[in-house]
Amino acid sequence: MKVSFPYMGSAIVYKKLFEFLEHEVIMPPKPTQRTMDLGVKYSPEFACIPLKMVMGTYLEAIEKGAKVLVTSGGHGPCRAGFYGDTHRNILKSLGYDDVELIIFDAPQDNWRAFFRNVQKIRNGVPWHKVINRMYTLYRFVQKLDELEKMVQKIRPYEVNKGQTTQVWNQIQEKFDKIKTRKQLYRVYEECKQMLLSIPTRKVDEKDRIRVGIVGEIYVVMESSINFGIEEILGNLGVEVERSLYLFEWINDNLVPWILRPKRFKEIIKKGQRYIKILIGGHAVETVGHIIDFKERGFDGIVHLMPFACLPELVTQSLIPKISKEVDIPILSLPIDEQTGKANMLTRIEAFIDLLRNRKRGKTKEVFIDNIQEHVQEERVVMV
Amino acid sequence: MKIAIPHSLLYYYYFPLWDTFFKELGFEVVDTGPTTKDILDKGSKAAVADICAPIKIFTGHVIEGLKVADYVFVPRFARIKKPEYFCPKFMGLPDIIEGTVEESKGRVISPIINEKNNENISSPKIYEMLTEMFGFSHREIRLAIKRAEEVFERFKALLHSGLSCDKALESYKTGRWEKDLEKVKKDGDVTIAVLGYVYDVYDSFISMDVIKKLEALDVNIKTFEMVPQKVAYDNLKHYRKRLFWTFSNRVLGAGLHYLKDPEVDGIIHVTAFGCGPDAIVGRFLQYESDVAGKPFTTLRVDEHTGEGHMVTRIEAFVDMLKRKKWAKLSEVL
Ligand code: SF4
Ligand code: SF4
Repeated sequence: MKVSFPYMGSAIVYKKLFEFLEHEVIMPPKPTQRTMDLGVKYSPEFACIPLKMVMGTYLEAIEKGAKVLVTSGGHGPCRAGFYGDTHRNILKSLGYDDVELIIFDAPQDNWRAFFRNVQKIRNGVPWHKVINRMYTLYRFVQKLDELEKMVQKIRPYEVNKGQTTQVWNQIQEKFDKIKTRKQLYRVYEECKQMLLSIPTRKVDEKDRIRVGIVGEIYVVMESSINFGIEEILGNLGVEVERSLYLFEWINDNLVPWILRPKRFKEIIKKGQRYIKILIGGHAVETVGHIIDFKERGFDGIVHLMPFACLPELVTQSLIPKISKEVDIPILSLPIDEQTGKANMLTRIEAFIDLLRNRKRGKTKEVFIDNIQEHVQEERVVMV
Repeated sequence: MKIAIPHSLLYYYYFPLWDTFFKELGFEVVDTGPTTKDILDKGSKAAVADICAPIKIFTGHVIEGLKVADYVFVPRFARIKKPEYFCPKFMGLPDIIEGTVEESKGRVISPIINEKNNENISSPKIYEMLTEMFGFSHREIRLAIKRAEEVFERFKALLHSGLSCDKALESYKTGRWEKDLEKVKKDGDVTIAVLGYVYDVYDSFISMDVIKKLEALDVNIKTFEMVPQKVAYDNLKHYRKRLFWTFSNRVLGAGLHYLKDPEVDGIIHVTAFGCGPDAIVGRFLQYESDVAGKPFTTLRVDEHTGEGHMVTRIEAFVDMLKRKKWAKLSEVL
C-alpha cells in the first residue's frame, strides 16, 4: 500500500512506523504556503487551521502517489473528532474515489472498527515482529525527543549562527536511516556527541532566558505553521521547551490511565486550578503547563492557538488572571491563514525584551497581549 | 438573597426551571432582561477579542447581574446526554467568567451539569452544591427541583405544540400557559424553519428579531425546539457518528426533520460569527438541503452586523419562496 499521513512535528517517526509495517511510504512534503493555499481552498471557511493544513498535506501526498492516508480520529468534545470525516467528504467530492482514508478513533468508542483498522495497517506482518518493532519505535521517539530538547538548550548559546539547526537536520537524516534498536542506540550516542561539540558561549545564569511553549497540539508541534517559533526564540538567545513532545504524548495518551506517568496527572491537576473539568483539546494541559513552567523557574510563556480554537479561547480568557496570580508573562498568539510572519516577529521580540528587563529587575510588569484586532467587515453573510 | 439569571445562552430554554427552583428555595430572582447595546459593549470589553458573540453577550449579562444581585447563576454545562457534550465554552463557562469578570469572585453559583441522560437537568445532586454554600437541606432541594421540573415539562409541552421559545417564555411569565396556544398562527403564505441555538435565534441583538421580521412578512415559523428530542435524533440515525454537541445534534436533527416536512418551504440557519460547532452543522445542513432540493440560507451575525442589510436579505429570501410557491400552484391549476 502506498501510505501517507498528516505532517506534524517529527514526521520521520510516522514514516518509520509505516516502514516497520512494511508499507511503501509516501513521505508528505513539509507544509509550505502552497499546502496552506490548497488546504484553505478546499476546506470549509470556518474550519480550524489545523484541519485546513492537513487537508493541504493530503492533497500534496496524493499528488505524490499516496493511495492510503492514515490518521487519528480523536474524540470529543472538540472539532478534531470530525477532521477525518470532513477530509473524507472533501476528497470524495474532489473525485479521489481510489484514495482510502483510515481513521483511528479511540478504541473504546468502537473496538471492532479499531481492530479492523489495525488489521489493515498491520499489513500481514507477524505479531511478534510488530510488537518488537513498535518497541523500537517507542525508543526511537524517546531518543529523538531527547536530542531535540538538547538542541533547544544549545541553540541560544551557539557561537556560529545556524550551526545547531544544521546539526539537527543532519541528526534527523541519520535517524531516518535507522532500522534496528542496536543502530538506534549507536546513532543516538553519535548525535549526542555532535551536539555537545558545538561551540557555545558561556552565559551567566542570571542572563539566561527560558520560555515555555504551550497550546493546541498542531500549532505547538508543527513548525511550518508556527513560523519555526522555537528557532526564532533560539536565535534571540532564548532557551525553549514545549509543553508537548511526541514521546510524552504517547505516554500520556496511548498508555492505559493507571500506567500513565505521574507527571501527566500532576499537570492536569495544576490545570484544574483554573479550568475545573476537562473541556476538550488541550486547554487544561495548557494551563497546567503554564503553572508547571513557572514552578520550574521559566521566565515567560508563549501560548499558541489556532484562531478561534474553542478550548484555547477558554484558556485565553484566563490568561490575564493566571499571568497575574502566577506572576509570569504570557504572550498569546492566535494563528490563522492571515497571520503574517513580520507581525509575529515584532511581537515576539517585544516580549523577549520585556522578559529581559524583568529579569534584570527593571520592570515588574506582566505583559499581556490581547490579540491583533481583526478587520471587522460587514458580517451578515447569506449564502 | 438575590440571584441574577443572565438573560442569555440557555436562559431561553431553562429559565422556567431555574426561576421556579430558586424561588421555591426562597431566592429573589433577577432576570437581567433582553440584551442591550450597553450589555453587549460591556461584555465585548471584558471578553477576549476572538470569542463568539454569544459568550461576549453572556459576559455582559453577568456584569449587569452582579450590579443588582448578590449572586449570579453560571451553570457549567458538561453534558445532558451520553456520549455527547456541550461546546467547550459551555464546559468552561464559569472559568471564562472568573477570568474575565473580576467582581464575580466568590459570587458565582455554578453547579456542574453532567448527566447521562436528563435533558431536564433535574437531578437534585446537580444542585447539592447549594447545600454547602447556603445550608439548604437535601429535602428542600429535592422538593424545589421537583416543583421546577413540573413547570419545565409544561413549558416543553408548549414548545412541542408549536409555540416558539420566546412566546412560551412569555406564557410562563404571564401565567397564561396553554391559553397562548392560539398564538400559533398558521395562515402565512410560506413556512420557514428557522434553525439555530436558542441564544442566537431569540437574542434580539444577535438575530435582530429575525422571527418577528419574518412574521411581519406573513411567514409561518418553525424552530428546533418544536421538534421533540426523540424525533430529532431519529433523523440522525444514518450518520456514521453523531456530532459531539447535544444542541448541535438537535439543530441538525430538526433540520433533517423539516427537510422532509412538506409544509416547510425553506430553511434559515442562524449562526453567530466565530461559532466552532456551527462550522460543521452549517455545512451538513447546506449539503442536506441541496440534496432535498429545499432553499437554504445562512444568517451569520455578530455584534457588528448592520440591520438594514439583513432585512434586505431575508426579504429577498421570502420573496423567492413565495414566487416558487406561486409558480408551483399555478402549475397545478
Ligand atoms: S482544539 Fe481547537 S484547533 Fe483543535 S479541533 Fe478543537 S477548535 Fe479546532
Ligand atoms: S456553540 Fe458556538 S456560539 Fe455557542 S458558545 Fe460554542 S462557539 Fe459560541
